Amino acid sequence: MKELLKIENLATGYEIAKNKRLFIHSGINATVKSGEFISILGLNGTGKSTLLKTIAGFNKKLDGKIYYDKSEIGDISIKELAKKVAVVLTSKPDDIYLTPENIIITGRYPYGSIFKNLKNEDFSFVHKAAKQTGVENLLERKFVTLSDGEKQRVMIARAIAQSTPLILLDEPAAFIDSPGKVELMLLLRKLSKNGKSVILTTHDVELALEYSDTLWILGKQNIFESGSPREILKNDVINKVFISKTVKFDNKEKRFKPV
Amino acid sequence: MDYRLPRVLTAIAVGSGLSVAGLLLQIVFRNPLAGPSVLGISAGASLGVALVVLTGSSLGLDILNNSFFLSDASMVIAAFAGALTVLAIITYVSQKIGNIVTILIIGLMLGYLVSAVVGILQFFSGSDDLQAYVIWGLGSFSKNTLARSFGLLVTTLLLIIPLFFLSKPLNAILLGDDYAKNTGFNIKKYNLVFIFLSGILIALGTAFTGPIAFLGLASPHIARIWFQTSDNSKLIPASLLIGSNLALLCNLAASLPGLDTSLPVNAVTSLIGAPIVIWVIVKRTKIKAA
Repeated sequence: MKELLKIENLATGYEIAKNKRLFIHSGINATVKSGEFISILGLNGTGKSTLLKTIAGFNKKLDGKIYYDKSEIGDISIKELAKKVAVVLTSKPDDIYLTPENIIITGRYPYGSIFKNLKNEDFSFVHKAAKQTGVENLLERKFVTLSDGEKQRVMIARAIAQSTPLILLDEPAAFIDSPGKVELMLLLRKLSKNGKSVILTTHDVELALEYSDTLWILGKQNIFESGSPREILKNDVINKVFISKTVKFDNKEKRFKPV
Repeated sequence: MDYRLPRVLTAIAVGSGLSVAGLLLQIVFRNPLAGPSVLGISAGASLGVALVVLTGSSLGLDILNNSFFLSDASMVIAAFAGALTVLAIITYVSQKIGNIVTILIIGLMLGYLVSAVVGILQFFSGSDDLQAYVIWGLGSFSKNTLARSFGLLVTTLLLIIPLFFLSKPLNAILLGDDYAKNTGFNIKKYNLVFIFLSGILIALGTAFTGPIAFLGLASPHIARIWFQTSDNSKLIPASLLIGSNLALLCNLAASLPGLDTSLPVNAVTSLIGAPIVIWVIVKRTKIKAA
């Protein structure tokens, strides 16, 4: 499979002031193939979202390189980057008159000139994307009146309409009921089978093991482990990262259990 | 007709300019209560006028007894200069600071600072000068000659026309910062463009009519409720039309038949605008609760 993204010696974090940096995680090396479904796991504060936002270009990296195909992220214009990566974030639009259609159509903004009106072709992208995520009957509703699960599907439709080879999702399963979570994973799984690479962050270890091709596991002290669910289970990685006195991960039953 | 036409042209120009500026500021600052007063630009105009009117006599410039048109023109220039000075500071700060909330707070504080200076000037000035300044502060659509009001209208529309082509980045900003970046627009740059354009529109309006309250705040809300949309390709023309019509209505209400003189416009726009804003905010809460 084609290599889509290459991360070399990446350090994530924040520039607090001039010459003062707060490192969240350093020394990340990884690759993403096209059609690969990756889940990022890790305790709170280990830098899952920061990593995602750094790959998306929202946060400046503190060190290392991120290559999309052959070009380094720093050399890619904002507009070109928007054609390479689409995001689904934890924050949601809160304007009361926005409709799902208004939101999904913004996925077409990177294409065509700022001055030109959107074409029929763009609207057909919107309808196709809405159909894929099952929100085609909600397009005219007011976004704020939708349920959390419906909102999430609208935001995923927006990312699909952007026609990028890579989609990043920050905790897409949060606030969604259990069957909804599984449906969401199946939807993302299907997207990756159709050739899109998907990277998401999640706290749901069981679901991530079940549906992902690859897991990236972030731990304290710059621990970064990646591998297929099978490799992760075999090497008992989860217990090395999710350290708890009262709970341990059972690699056979694939779930956390009391000690 | 001779004196009505300039009034009508001025009302249309200021109504549309302030309303479109209000729409831009509400989007950029993501705050439904943002309006022409938030950046301190109208306060800057007040300071310009205060400097000319209130310190004029002490410098030996007898502005009030000068020919009527001349003093009016000098007030326009002073107000515009004051507003542009504040806008220049705001634009400079916005370039340095990316955070939109910080820019909003600096704008508000700048407004208070400038108003304090005006207060000090008022304290030290004579009663005639003070009266002239207070009357300017009440606002009026009838200060302009035909040529000047026509020029104002043309300039305002020329400033608004480019915005018809910028509804995409405005819509993108509505989604929130990170989503906006993901649509491929340099949002920091566009925020600056929108702040600058709305600042010029406010400076123009305030210079030619005095500070006009609530018009720029209320019209975008009426446009949203009327058309039930947040799509700015519709809201820009809608705010323009509603703003100019609302200003005409206020102009009409200010010059009630049977009255020799017209009521101060600023009072009329507040009387009409404030209830509208209350109604809008109540309606918003209802929709959110639903």
